[in-house]
Amino acid sequence: MRGEDYPAEGILDMAHDLLQRADPATRGLWPRASALLARQALEAGVRRLWERRELDLRGCPMRAQLICLRTYLEDADLAARTAHAWSALTRACHHHPYELAPTAAELQGWFVVVAALIRSARDG
Amino acid sequence: MDRGLRSIVRSRLEADDSVEEAWSVLVLGALEGREGLEAELAGARAEPRDQAPATSRVPGGVFLGSIAVEGFRGIGPGQLLELRPGPGLTLVVGRNGSGKSSFAEALEVVLTGDSMRWRDRAAVWREGWRNLHQPAASLAATLLVEGEPGPCVVSRRWEPQAPFEAADVLVQRDGRPVAGVETLGWADALRTHRPFLSYNELGSLLDEGPSRLYDALSSILGLEDLVEAQGALQEARRSREKVVKEATEARDRLLERLEGVEDDRARRVAQAIQGKAWDLEAVEAALAGAGSGATAAAAADVLRGIAALEPPDPAAVAGVVAEMRAAARAVESARRTTAARSRDAAALLDLALAYHAAHGDGDCPVCGRKRALDRAWSDRQRTAAGGLREAAREADAVHERAEAARRRWEDLATLRLDALRRAGEVGLDLSGLVEALGVWVQAGSMSDLGALADHLEAASGPLRDAVVRLRDAARAELGRKEDAWRPAAVDVAGWLAGAREAARGAVDVKRLKPAEAWLKKAAAGIRDDRFAPIADKAAAIWEHLRQQSHVELGRIQLTGDGTRRRVVLDVTVDGVEGAALGVMSQGELHSLALSLFVPRATLPESPFRFIVIDDPVQSMDPARVDGLARVLESASADRQLVVFTHDDRLPEAVRRLDVAADIVEVTRRDGSVVELRRALDPVGRYLEDALAVAGTAELPSSAAGRVVPGLCRLALEAACMEVVRRRRLGRGERHADVEGALAEAGPLARLVALALFDDAARDRDALERVEREAGAPLAEALRRCGEGTSGAGAVEVVDLVRRAARLAAWLRGAA
Repeated sequence: MRGEDYPAEGILDMAHDLLQRADPATRGLWPRASALLARQALEAGVRRLWERRELDLRGCPMRAQLICLRTYLEDADLAARTAHAWSALTRACHHHPYELAPTAAELQGWFVVVAALIRSARDG
Repeated sequence: MDRGLRSIVRSRLEADDSVEEAWSVLVLGALEGREGLEAELAGARAEPRDQAPATSRVPGGVFLGSIAVEGFRGIGPGQLLELRPGPGLTLVVGRNGSGKSSFAEALEVVLTGDSMRWRDRAAVWREGWRNLHQPAASLAATLLVEGEPGPCVVSRRWEPQAPFEAADVLVQRDGRPVAGVETLGWADALRTHRPFLSYNELGSLLDEGPSRLYDALSSILGLEDLVEAQGALQEARRSREKVVKEATEARDRLLERLEGVEDDRARRVAQAIQGKAWDLEAVEAALAGAGSGATAAAAADVLRGIAALEPPDPAAVAGVVAEMRAAARAVESARRTTAARSRDAAALLDLALAYHAAHGDGDCPVCGRKRALDRAWSDRQRTAAGGLREAAREADAVHERAEAARRRWEDLATLRLDALRRAGEVGLDLSGLVEALGVWVQAGSMSDLGALADHLEAASGPLRDAVVRLRDAARAELGRKEDAWRPAAVDVAGWLAGAREAARGAVDVKRLKPAEAWLKKAAAGIRDDRFAPIADKAAAIWEHLRQQSHVELGRIQLTGDGTRRRVVLDVTVDGVEGAALGVMSQGELHSLALSLFVPRATLPESPFRFIVIDDPVQSMDPARVDGLARVLESASADRQLVVFTHDDRLPEAVRRLDVAADIVEVTRRDGSVVELRRALDPVGRYLEDALAVAGTAELPSSAAGRVVPGLCRLALEAACMEVVRRRRLGRGERHADVEGALAEAGPLARLVALALFDDAARDRDALERVEREAGAPLAEALRRCGEGTSGAGAVEVVDLVRRAARLAAWLRGAA
């Protein structure tokens, strides 16, 4: 396992934690922060899948990797949902004019997809 | 009534030459309300009454201090939205569903007890007012009233399960509880100067039709009293017209009813009320049974005379007949007696003596004996006649009795001839009686008493029958007439009361009509005078908001009244006049609604120095949002504006245009935990977030290492966009083009290039320039932020944030 890698589950747990713990210190910043973490968890999950399949796709843009996911993940629907969650999370991780941070409900929806992807990468 | 309004009306009345005293007093009466008008109509002078001076004084201005919400709509655990009391602009920014609108609704509910947003919605919408995550529900607004030492706190609190309407309302002024929300005296102002405006209302203001818009705008003009006065006149007229109409309809029915009544009184009534003008005196006279109509009265007299006829009494007839027969028998038996002979001889002698007295002495005219009649004969016979008469007295009595008996037949049937003679006029059949009488009167020519008795005996029966028949017919006719009239008379009397009222009402209507017409015209004139400054202000706001719109707004007018009241918006599209609202986009409509709302809510008469606008930005394009920011800025010079908005467009415009504003962000976690925080500009906010994450002990340092570079990148992106937007919009580029360029820029380096060189393609040049001018550490920070990575240690993380902050400042200054 590479040094920059951190178990995808762990990252997603941190994101969850930020979202659910009502902490004055993170008041208002949790939506962006947990989106940042969730995207990293998603990307870590995808990386793990390639490692298990012994494919070296690390140099490829994420968009290309997500397209490959459709082939290598048996669950085509999950592949599609993963691609969507990634682009939504990415949008939340960049400053866009006039857009506010995602809502808790939106984040939770994406977390579900990320968790499913991580499970699939680990077991499948 | 508002004293100012009354004097305006008075001076208009005085200036108008067409005004007539007869109805101008009604206009003045109507200004005092319904009672005033009725008093004037009744001829009693109404004293002008002034409303308590309390409402006419300008109340102290009201500012908002805070809004506290718990367990209401989107907000679970209690949250306090603190506001800076005083003029200025506050933006409350949060995603849809973040609970921001709940604050706006809460304020409205606290003050008015209801929310415009739900008022016309289905019950299910209303019932959703409670937050499911919080059983306790309470709302409180802290208001600062000019001239009052302490704040005024209005709160509503609900027991768990209590329905929306069952709130405990508590009002505290300067820490002391006061009776109720009514005591604040804001009810009218809340309606007329409504300081709340939601997105829904913005839409509906124009959607719900011109009459609704008219109501919304005309209420601010303070002309309700005038409308009420018009209403009083109209109602007075209508109620009278109704009475007249009802009486006329009742008249028609009554005429129909009277047609079937064969009675002269009925005919007289019908004649009196047939025309347009009713002779009610004649009707009354007919009811009283007196008055004209001699012929009819006579006819009734005839009937009554006939009805009173007495037929021959059988007992009397029998008595007379018996007496006649007895007398006849007595005459018969006396004929053969000496008395009868003496009576006859005396009669003969009386004749002879009369002959001698007339012709003198001479021969006997009976036996012819010469010179038989002389003086001696005369003396002798005179004595003999006296003797004979004496002897005949008995026979005379018998004859007198017979004569008396004969005369008695006339008494048996004494009929009123005057009545009978006119029996034909009243429609009675006399033929039977005439026949019976014809037989009866033959008695007059009968000399034989026995035969007369027989005749009377035979004729009395038929005569009696004929009289009884006629009398009964007359009685029946009389009864029939009374039977028909009596209930008709009740109807006439019943109608008469309403008819008298209608007659008075018709007179009133003649005065009310010109009064009504005059006041209608005057009210329109006064309305136009009062609305003009508001229309001007709305037009000025529209100029700000329209931006690139092709729609020009000319005059705004309130016209018509009653069901035809409407707002005429003189809209010109691309120079074409008379265009309908339909050509306007949703965003334009909202802007127009806002243009009308803001002047209304900021009139000096309003006690409210605050305005709450919920989501005015929806469906506005960015250019219009700039205009909105300008409008809000100018309005916030002397008003406290609280604007709720669901995206960052308005805050961005406000920052870019240097509009002074407080910005509060609203976010909502699971369980309806709503968080508020005062926002800096986005760059500062991201950097502060990054620093908070870096310094938060509760977060694992690995999490900080992952999150912080991302947040720093967000800050740098925001800084670049700010630079680009300020420059490009500053030189007049279209919003859409600027936003397009920003969206297409891509990775951070290209965005920096766009900021530094106005060209996203020069990302390499940009990195070089950063390294050269800002220094290697900042260039390194830029690289790391772009990649989203950082070193592992906590110190490095904090350091990254500091460098990012410096880099952001440099970028803002360098461009």
